[in-house]
Amino acid sequence: MPRVLIADDGGAPIRVPPMLRAGILLRDIDIAAVVRRAASDDAVIVIDLDSVRGMASDEAAADFVIDTLGVRIVMTRRAHVAAHVASRGGLGLLHALAFDSTGLMRALEGSAPGPGVGTVVSPGAVLPHMRPSELEELARPIVAYGLLTRPADALDCLELAECVVLRQDVADELAAIARDSTQPVRNLLTTVAAEE
Amino acid sequence: MIPVTATGEFLARLERSRCCAAIVSDEQLELALVSRTPIVFVLRGNGLALGPCIRRIHAAGKLVAVHLDLVDGVRADPRGVAWLARLGTDAIITSHGRLMPVIRREGVVAILRLLLSRRTHVDTSVTAVSRAGPDIIEVLPGVILPTLAALMPTFGVPLLAGGFIRTQADAEDVIAAGAVGITTSAPNLWGMYAS
Repeated sequence: MPRVLIADDGGAPIRVPPMLRAGILLRDIDIAAVVRRAASDDAVIVIDLDSVRGMASDEAAADFVIDTLGVRIVMTRRAHVAAHVASRGGLGLLHALAFDSTGLMRALEGSAPGPGVGTVVSPGAVLPHMRPSELEELARPIVAYGLLTRPADALDCLELAECVVLRQDVADELAAIARDSTQPVRNLLTTVAAEE
Repeated sequence: MIPVTATGEFLARLERSRCCAAIVSDEQLELALVSRTPIVFVLRGNGLALGPCIRRIHAAGKLVAVHLDLVDGVRADPRGVAWLARLGTDAIITSHGRLMPVIRREGVVAILRLLLSRRTHVDTSVTAVSRAGPDIIEVLPGVILPTLAALMPTFGVPLLAGGFIRTQADAEDVIAAGAVGITTSAPNLWGMYAS
């Protein structure tokens, strides 16, 4: 699991800054574009299953993504689909909308944390505002996704989560900071990659 | 057209105390009734049987806002709106912009809940608000409003903030970022800034 995912919603081609060793999150694009992008990238690919136009958010779609596209990390709002991905040897990320604490707990209802299942917290910017007890409820790895509009937001979240999703412009800023920065910041961005 | 006094009264109460109770349980209702919160936001419960709850809140001298999308038993459609209005709620919150005119026609304050999880939601929110025409908007998660302030458009309607606001510092930052009030389930904040 990379520390940083750059969101690819079908616009300009994603440029992965070498300093970040980032993966790519495919979202808001149609099936054909997903197939094209998944085949053409060397970076780790993650798919936001619920947002792919023309594709269902079910086990059949997850199987297609795993078997045909070779993508092993799938984001979904459905707990049973996340568990299915895990059962296929992939990483199923349960996408929990965290607009308030009540909603977060509701989103996690029915999830069965286990090997191969992690959590996407959306918007990721709330992560630093969550209680330790709430963080403990989340299956790891945790991905902070959404409204991380500044590199500082991303670094705050990386203290608590395994991964952050960033837009290209914020990822570029973060890479520039990492390039000119002290070793601790670089460590924060590369720890997981180094462990792999 | 909604009487000016409905929204005016709602905002006047907020001016007296910026921090409102958001409740999801009977225990929280009891705490809210004896707090200084001017308005109680009901986020859970059986929408078909909220009458006694609303009457108790009114008897405590407070206004009531009911979340149409979150209470059980009531559909987020014009009939559901009419039902809650008949029960006596002062405001209805929903994420369904198309219901804003319906709520206003019932003489109830219309609060549009804006759920922001991605930058695109921020970018498109101004269109959503102008199309819906709410009396008030509530932005969630409110705690990140200060970090989004530079990106937030001007809506032209009063803005509430709710979600993960738990400390006095959170509340102060959110109000400094432009919110006229906050909604929170943290009882220690209810009635804060009461005049």
